[in-house]
Amino acid sequence: RVSYSQGDKISVKVENQRLEKVLSFIEKTSDYNFVYKVNEIDLLRPVSLNVTKEKIENVLQLIFKNDSISYQIFDNQIILKKKPSVKKIPRRTAKTTNYQQLVKGTIVDDQGMPLPGINVVEKGTNNGSSTNFDGVYEIEVGENAILVFSGIGFKKQEITVNGQTTINATLQNDTEQLENVVVTALGIKKEERALTYAVTEVDGDGFTQAKEVNLADALSGKIAGVSVSNLTTGAGGSSRVTIRGNTSLSGDNQPLYVINGMPMDNTTLGGSASTSAGGFNIDHGDGTGGINPDDIETISVLKGATAAALYGSRASNGAIIITTKKGSFNSGIGIEFNSSFTVDSPMDFTDWQYEYGQGNGGQRPLNQSNAITWGRRNWGERINGQPFVAFDGIERPYVAQKNNIDHFYENGTTFINTIALSGGSEKTSYRFSISDTDTKGVVPNNSFNRRIFSLNLNSTIGERLDIEGLVQFNRSKSYNRSSAGDATGNPNWVNMLANTVDVRWLDPGYDENGYEIEWNETPYASNPYFVANKFKNEGIRDRYLGQVSLNYRLLDNLSVRGSVSRDYTSFDFTAILPTGTLYTNNAAGEYHGFDLTVSETNSMLTVNYNEDLTEDINLGVMAGGNIRKYQNEQTNYDGRQFIIPFFYSFTNLQTSTTIPSNQHLTTNSIFGSLDLSYKNYLYLNATAREDWFSTLTASNGADSDNSILYPSVGAGFVFSEVINKPDWFSYGKIRSSWAQVGGGLPDPYTLNESYTMIPSSGEPLQQVTQVGGQRLLANANLRPYTSTTFEIGLEARLFNNRLGFDVAVYDKTTTDDIVNAQIPVTTGYEYTYFNVGEVENQGIEVAVNGTPVKNDNFSWDINYNMAYNKNEVKQLAEGLNTISVANSVGNWAEIHHEVGQAFGVIKGYSMLRDDEGNIVFDSNSGFPMRSELKKIGNSVAPLSMGLSNRFKYKNFALDVLLDGKFGNDIFSVLNVYATRFGLSKRTLEGRENGLVLEGVDQNGDPYTNTIPSTDIRSYYQNLKNYSDHFIYDGSFVKLRQVVLSYNIPVEKISLFKLQSASLSFIARNLFVLYSKTDNFDPESAYTNSNAQGFESFALPRTRSYGLNLKFKF
Amino acid sequence: CDDGFEEENTNPDASNQVDPEYMFTKAIYDALNNSTGTVYEFGAGGFVQHFATYLEVPGLGDKYLYISGSYPYAFFNGAYLDAINEIDKIIYATEGVEGLSNQNAIAQIWKVYTYHRLTDLYGMVPYTEATTAFSEANYSPVYDTQEAIYMDMLNTLQSASGSLDANQPSFGNGDLIYNGNVDQWSRFANSLMLRLAMRLTKVNPTLAEEWAQKAISAGIIAEPSNNAIIDYPGGQVINSNPIAFQLRNNNYSESNQGSSNTEGGKFADTFISYLKENNDPRLSSFAAVWVNGSQKTDPELQQGMPNGLVNRPENFPGLSEPNLNTLLSLNSSLMVLGSAEMNLLLAEASARGWTSGDAQSYYLEGIRDAMNSLEGLYGNEAAVSEEEVNTYIASQSLTGSLEEQMETIHTQFWVSVFPDEIEVYSNWRRTGYPELTPVNVTGNLTGGTIPRRLTYPPSEISVNTENYEAAVSQQGLDLFTTRVWWDVEQ
Repeated sequence: RVSYSQGDKISVKVENQRLEKVLSFIEKTSDYNFVYKVNEIDLLRPVSLNVTKEKIENVLQLIFKNDSISYQIFDNQIILKKKPSVKKIPRRTAKTTNYQQLVKGTIVDDQGMPLPGINVVEKGTNNGSSTNFDGVYEIEVGENAILVFSGIGFKKQEITVNGQTTINATLQNDTEQLENVVVTALGIKKEERALTYAVTEVDGDGFTQAKEVNLADALSGKIAGVSVSNLTTGAGGSSRVTIRGNTSLSGDNQPLYVINGMPMDNTTLGGSASTSAGGFNIDHGDGTGGINPDDIETISVLKGATAAALYGSRASNGAIIITTKKGSFNSGIGIEFNSSFTVDSPMDFTDWQYEYGQGNGGQRPLNQSNAITWGRRNWGERINGQPFVAFDGIERPYVAQKNNIDHFYENGTTFINTIALSGGSEKTSYRFSISDTDTKGVVPNNSFNRRIFSLNLNSTIGERLDIEGLVQFNRSKSYNRSSAGDATGNPNWVNMLANTVDVRWLDPGYDENGYEIEWNETPYASNPYFVANKFKNEGIRDRYLGQVSLNYRLLDNLSVRGSVSRDYTSFDFTAILPTGTLYTNNAAGEYHGFDLTVSETNSMLTVNYNEDLTEDINLGVMAGGNIRKYQNEQTNYDGRQFIIPFFYSFTNLQTSTTIPSNQHLTTNSIFGSLDLSYKNYLYLNATAREDWFSTLTASNGADSDNSILYPSVGAGFVFSEVINKPDWFSYGKIRSSWAQVGGGLPDPYTLNESYTMIPSSGEPLQQVTQVGGQRLLANANLRPYTSTTFEIGLEARLFNNRLGFDVAVYDKTTTDDIVNAQIPVTTGYEYTYFNVGEVENQGIEVAVNGTPVKNDNFSWDINYNMAYNKNEVKQLAEGLNTISVANSVGNWAEIHHEVGQAFGVIKGYSMLRDDEGNIVFDSNSGFPMRSELKKIGNSVAPLSMGLSNRFKYKNFALDVLLDGKFGNDIFSVLNVYATRFGLSKRTLEGRENGLVLEGVDQNGDPYTNTIPSTDIRSYYQNLKNYSDHFIYDGSFVKLRQVVLSYNIPVEKISLFKLQSASLSFIARNLFVLYSKTDNFDPESAYTNSNAQGFESFALPRTRSYGLNLKFKF
Repeated sequence: CDDGFEEENTNPDASNQVDPEYMFTKAIYDALNNSTGTVYEFGAGGFVQHFATYLEVPGLGDKYLYISGSYPYAFFNGAYLDAINEIDKIIYATEGVEGLSNQNAIAQIWKVYTYHRLTDLYGMVPYTEATTAFSEANYSPVYDTQEAIYMDMLNTLQSASGSLDANQPSFGNGDLIYNGNVDQWSRFANSLMLRLAMRLTKVNPTLAEEWAQKAISAGIIAEPSNNAIIDYPGGQVINSNPIAFQLRNNNYSESNQGSSNTEGGKFADTFISYLKENNDPRLSSFAAVWVNGSQKTDPELQQGMPNGLVNRPENFPGLSEPNLNTLLSLNSSLMVLGSAEMNLLLAEASARGWTSGDAQSYYLEGIRDAMNSLEGLYGNEAAVSEEEVNTYIASQSLTGSLEEQMETIHTQFWVSVFPDEIEVYSNWRRTGYPELTPVNVTGNLTGGTIPRRLTYPPSEISVNTENYEAAVSQQGLDLFTTRVWWDVEQ
């Protein structure tokens, strides 16, 4: 056991300050933490105090001297509790002759500290007493009485009097009774035991050592049921988090993010990357990328609709509640400094064939023209060092080049520094932080910089009014984010370089005139060095996040809170396809850019009332309303052909267009909640909310159904409080809840058809309005959808808290889902919204934590979490069995939602076989015929788990996190091309003697086709038509994170009033321990849209390792 | 709680009404700019061996290979999503509205123009139920037989043409072809009727004759002054000649100088050789080769690329390309339907005895009109002088059996209607002229024969499955070798 210094001295000087601020101040300025039931303690009671370097016990005595609060201290925990109702235990007087003896004694804890407020009861009677502040009690008992000593936080102890007159006792800590307070919806704090649904809280420290630039990525593997797709889109890229599976066929399925009680915008500005575009098909980053991990106090993950019912529709996928750090009252300036530096080294997953080199038809290139035409073809001769001519016309030896990935990509670096100042006067506290994130990507010339300035102010005006404000300003700049998907302008196609060509021969990628150097047969496959050196894209994003809230206490148990928050981002992006880009018209380049501003404003008013109805029953009521306004105003600038070469301005284009688009939407809501608790073991809560959606309001007076009212109820029962339980069973709770959440339509203006004028240099032109480039058929008959969740959970802690588990099972069904469905183009449209989807998720989540070893110097904590989610699409539109969500490059595979299948199946083709299993050949082409389009895989992993271990030895700690996902499939575009170009090992067959293909023809007659070795390319090139050849099991286990930290014993260093310091070695994404993919990382997603399940030339996964240094003054 | 939501949910950048004229201009553009790269250069233009490409990805037209991309079906998608949907909006907005009857009739004629190209390429397509999702919530349109579509198109041309009334208002400048001139639109409708009628010579000669005579007697485009031509001002992409734009975009530009070539395209050897051998003056209007940084049009320098190559030929940079200053000028004009084609069809009708007049006169008039139109379409550099026209015509005659005359007329059609590749390809399928030698590369999808149609988009297979399957069971497998209704094998 690590012992905390009980001698830690406290200095506090306050006048009429609220109790909670005082407690919070003590927490900040010492190692002590308070644990209490929210309903029991009057946190708003004013306190005046003036102590200097006083012992905590004395400070507590001063604070609570006139209060009915008892406190107990062990280790660094201070438990606050309503004083046991001593008066209510009838105290018999000496008149009763049964009582012959006075027993006195002192009760202490295992540290020898006196314990006040311990109940002393004669067993089997109502006779009782309790200890005073010095831990002393006295009680009159019968001769053979048994005394029972009990107190919150301690194990009961029984001692037989047996004639003794003095009985001292040492009570053992019963840590299992400690209650955490967690942050739930609307920033309401609740004790964990009062919750009727699953909430998992992660401490901010879990994010501040081995940091991910995008905060959401750091959740990976930590929480049962929370699935993170670790995208490989470089620093400043976005994240994809889903909680308990995908619930909506068209929504983004990501949770709502809330900072300090107010929602923030998490859209991927400028749109998510698509699965088949090129050029500047990049991930621009999302809202969570703008949060500084060092500012975070805690993150609460509200998993179910139940927990989120108060937040409304956007929380139907769960909510992630971020609470930021605040300053403390009455403290000097505290300084925290946190610095980390990591090297991000690209991982090479490729395992190509190096037996046959660049060439065609069994010949190596002997002139420049052939070398260019065969730039990506590996159908040449056996590699044997013989001379050949490369694409640049230079003769070189024909040898394998196995390190092209290492040669092209550089080591990236990530340097993150945060400095925070905090402190406060009697009435005001503040915390100010500045953070700077500077990353250099693995592709040459790619970088990302982010600065975040954050100021948090808390102030108390008079006795009843509190003001809290948060201002955050971010500026991030990204340069040359890498494109993914198709080949154009995508440097990652460097993977397809022929295996006898050294990538460095392509450097710098342009000739003396600045034009791209051709290295293969099609300019659509860009020269990777030309892209890295000459393509330019730049995104500058300014984000302002402001919140102000006022809380006024009308009465002690009635308060009104009003708050306004605004999340405003302005984002300017330009992408230059430079002069000399061979695939652009006349090699004259292109310009693409947009300026956008997006804002989300929430205005909320709530009234809170809290009352003890009886001794045992507490009632909490909340009612409120919220207005949410969202605006996205974007102007796109696109043009082609720079008139003056190499001068990259929008003013210098042959043709250009400027197109504005404006999206406005409003959601108005009213909501309320009711909480009832009985004693400390039975909890009930209920909520209701009604939303009105502007996006579901049809114009021209059509009667649209734009509102929905939805309720939730839940109950929690801490059965361990009322049953006879064995000693080893410390705590048990069962909870259950049922909730509905209604949801609207994310996009405005889609209920009525409208018509848009488009830019014309001739006569005016009008067309049907397109939505996001889609021809979307308007549907005025949409109504809100409903997501209904039922869950049951069981929590237990055993063996003195050494083992704990939490199991939840749930069913989450979305009905009337608004489905963005592909419809036949022959309707004149590509998509429409239908209101008919039904998606069901059923799952189980298990979290187990244990402490196998715990002694003075060494402890080992282990946490395991597992989630299995079974998803089924139950219904689409009438007559509609499948919806196409996305296509790969070349349409070789598609992502569909299909009735009876899980969300997001991968569909494709296989070779056609007859009933006997013979391959059916097309006698025209000589190749196998293709099956119909059918399911070939599942894009979403149903099973995920994480395992974290924490070892502590003296001042050292080692954290090791493993995580894994199982049961999904990935269609690999990389492997399609690697097969087409003869890089893949599977293409070795038939190189010497050709291939004999056997089967039947269309008529069922035996069929044989011999492909000569010189034409073997045509066979492998054709394999792409059978997508099932390129489907891989996406299951993996990764060593996600290792942190070895050393707490510098600062008490031995008297320098600069150092309070704490630590130095850590940190590493992320160290190893893939288990994987079944060939040539690519199983986590190779490059878009955060619903179109998961494709691998398509994204950036390489990086292995990051480095150091983290933290100081606190 | 929803005050002001109607206004909040109204797009500030869009109007709630169709403007028939502005949308008609868009519909004209869209009918003609649909997939000009994928169909013209890499599809039909390759089938008829005007163009060649050595790369495999765009190798559908050249090699009857299909590697990836939307080459077979981009036209299908584009037709419904843009031109057809727009023209149906105009017809819906003008139907029965007083003062808009001419607009309605012209839109109906344009709809036929748009649809006939679609059905000629694919055969059965949704027609009666297409684009009814908005008005009737029909999300799965059935496919109509090509026969039914042809009958309806012919009847529509007749009725729409008959309802045009010079005393009523019409489209103004938004009608890029005739400025709303109803007499001209009537001729256009009758000319289209003749085109469609002649298409039926293999499948139903009687019907062909009947409708051809109807069309001719009603008055077709016989003079260049009646030609349906669209001028493109250039500027925005949509205001540029769509064939020129796409061909430049895909392959041909100043910077490429004939060598670096995105899709590996050139003029086909078949086309260039034919023009050279016949001393056709149009060779220098269309073709050029790069010599020392500029395009040269000297006939003796011209050489096309053989179809069916799978590797880049050594002499690739020196092969003939479309002339950037004529055919590929972004503000060149586009012949929608002209007197050259009409005269060639009249020559055939006359040779078949379906109309009066001398077949050879029509034939020679067709050539003259084709050559004379080039300057107007593509500028001075494309001009064919009176002397050159006369010299060429003097070398031409129309004699022999009907089959021999057919070969003469339709080989000329192959040159004179270029670059309207969809029409040239349809005409080639109907007549079999000029005789082309197909290529046979490994893995081609047709067994070394020139495709007879294009294939449907995968989205129809996945989201309009039942109707797709019904069409396939009626028409034949969805293959490049399946023939459309009027393309009877003979």
